[in-house]
Amino acid sequence: MDSSTVPPTLPERINTFVEWLFDDYKPSVPKGPKVFNDALLGNLLFARHEVAVIDCPVMQRLRRIKQTGLVYYVFQSATHTRFEHSLGVAALAERCFNAIRERSDVEGTGFGGDGDRSKGDLAHLRMAALLHDVGHGLCSHASEQIYELMSDLQEFKSNPIYARNHPGEILSYLIVTSPRFKRWFEEFVVKECQANLSLDKISKLILGTHDDPEKWFLANIISSAYDCDKLDYIARDSYYCGLALTVDLPRFLSMISTAKYKGGRVLVLRNYVPLEQILFSKMTLFGSVYHHQKVKCLDSMLRSMVGHIIENPKQAAVPVRGGSVSFTDPVQYLYTTDEEFFWQPNGFGDEYIRSMLSRFRHRDLFVRCLEVSRRTVKNWDDGRQRYIDLNKVPQNLDDAEDEIQKRLQPAIRGNCSKHDIRLGIPGIPNIKSGSALIQTSKDADVEQIERYFPLEQWTEAYAHNKWRSFVYAPKEIAPAVRDAAISVLGERSGLDIDAAKSNQACHL
Amino acid sequence: MTAILPAILPDHILSAVLVLAEKKLTEVSPGRTRLAFRSHDFELQEIFNGLRKTNKYPILDAFVFSDSGPDPYSPALSESVSRLQLSGLIGRENPDYEVVFVRPAAERFFNEVLSRELAPPDIDQLSEVASIFLGRVVTV
Repeated sequence: MDSSTVPPTLPERINTFVEWLFDDYKPSVPKGPKVFNDALLGNLLFARHEVAVIDCPVMQRLRRIKQTGLVYYVFQSATHTRFEHSLGVAALAERCFNAIRERSDVEGTGFGGDGDRSKGDLAHLRMAALLHDVGHGLCSHASEQIYELMSDLQEFKSNPIYARNHPGEILSYLIVTSPRFKRWFEEFVVKECQANLSLDKISKLILGTHDDPEKWFLANIISSAYDCDKLDYIARDSYYCGLALTVDLPRFLSMISTAKYKGGRVLVLRNYVPLEQILFSKMTLFGSVYHHQKVKCLDSMLRSMVGHIIENPKQAAVPVRGGSVSFTDPVQYLYTTDEEFFWQPNGFGDEYIRSMLSRFRHRDLFVRCLEVSRRTVKNWDDGRQRYIDLNKVPQNLDDAEDEIQKRLQPAIRGNCSKHDIRLGIPGIPNIKSGSALIQTSKDADVEQIERYFPLEQWTEAYAHNKWRSFVYAPKEIAPAVRDAAISVLGERSGLDIDAAKSNQACHL
Repeated sequence: MTAILPAILPDHILSAVLVLAEKKLTEVSPGRTRLAFRSHDFELQEIFNGLRKTNKYPILDAFVFSDSGPDPYSPALSESVSRLQLSGLIGRENPDYEVVFVRPAAERFFNEVLSRELAPPDIDQLSEVASIFLGRVVTV
């Protein structure tokens, strides 16, 4: 796990991680199928071979990773995990599959899907849905935002095969295709549980692809503008955050079908209204939850700790079974989970890490010092590309934060770490994630959703009205950091920030 | 104002193409000072994928296209469009938001930052791309 023993390639390091996961695991063959009771979807029945996978370490570690990262510090009920989400996605994948089959029967259109749960398309679909998130690490997307810019993953992203995938999906794919996982899967799932499944097909579905163009729609169920991942997380996240958002699942299921399109068979909607509802809910979740100012503050505090650990690997490394990790490559974010990182009985690391862990334990969070938004930037119409660019170039972001710290008065500067000053610059929600296709009847043309309603308006409205960025710091030094940040961001990014307006927004 | 820009991002490539296309539009139609064109995101994807496939413009490699599925799709291009909206360099207009327009901030960003950071051969490539781009969109 330490840099001296890190294998040279990302797939090899992933395999080492999977070896490590299986190291203290005693596999057993489940006696039979099992029912899992889900708070959102009710009783979910899983076949014996699926239970074997659910029981294996790559799935069980998802119990210790919160679905929405650190959101539960703001929305206290949001303690749901990647584990229950994965089970939900598998169940919803089957419901989508069955809905398509039912409509196909009624309309007399071709379907070509094999509904056998232990060997056919449905079996592969459910397994891909179960395993689609096994590449998530510490605090889910909060750490993904940190490691996604690391060179390993950037190399993968430059390959067309992985171009459309998020970093977590690429890591999921690499885990599922790792020699260690394959060995276990062949022995216990294929042989012992007699499930005729191909890991090659499953792993491609996780990436949102299928070798057979006639089966593209199966990949669309796993990864598209209205995939079962979104159906589950929108409903689940809003439910656990206490937001009255909804996905009208019965209506959605009654509207999906497949159609011939550009040499293959794709997933289509008969009506855009269910998709509009999904997009509205997704946009609301971003505005209210994922980009909530305190949630972005918590993400920034995690980045403070990770940054400190990377710079001080000897004294601040995170203990894990048999060694330690210091977050220098994407795989190291998989070795620890939310539970292990935040709740080790004696803490870990050096004085800075222990003080930050104490802040999390007591919810003594950084505060907003400065808001950067349409409301506070006087020259908003002059453009803000140099500021937005900071979240794509980590070195520039670090430099800007360092510069803010350097401009503090010596007495204040001496009492804070450079990691105590954080710029939180959210991106913009990708509301569609690829093509979304509409076919109003079985004989109608297949068309892009934008032909039916102004999808791009939503991005424009969000960028213009909802997007906000903040500078965070400990409460004691907030006014000083605000003044230094106004100066640095003015010089480096050309932003003319109204301090009084920002103070109102930040309650400073 | 310090111009710090060690990395050329896909956003910068797209904004340079749009600004250079606007300059060309002004050259051929002196009365017009602003580039506005009809294009949904999927149409932009088609145009840039077509340009990339010619293999004449290596600078467009920044937009990696996934060719799994029926429609080649570059998340980097899609994200760049959104980020340029967020940065205030481009906008979309009522009533149907199909019209994309280039804001004055884009030209300023090009003149003050990009024109200094991009190498002359890159700007030559981008100028060619801009000409082809202008021929493939419907300006309004």
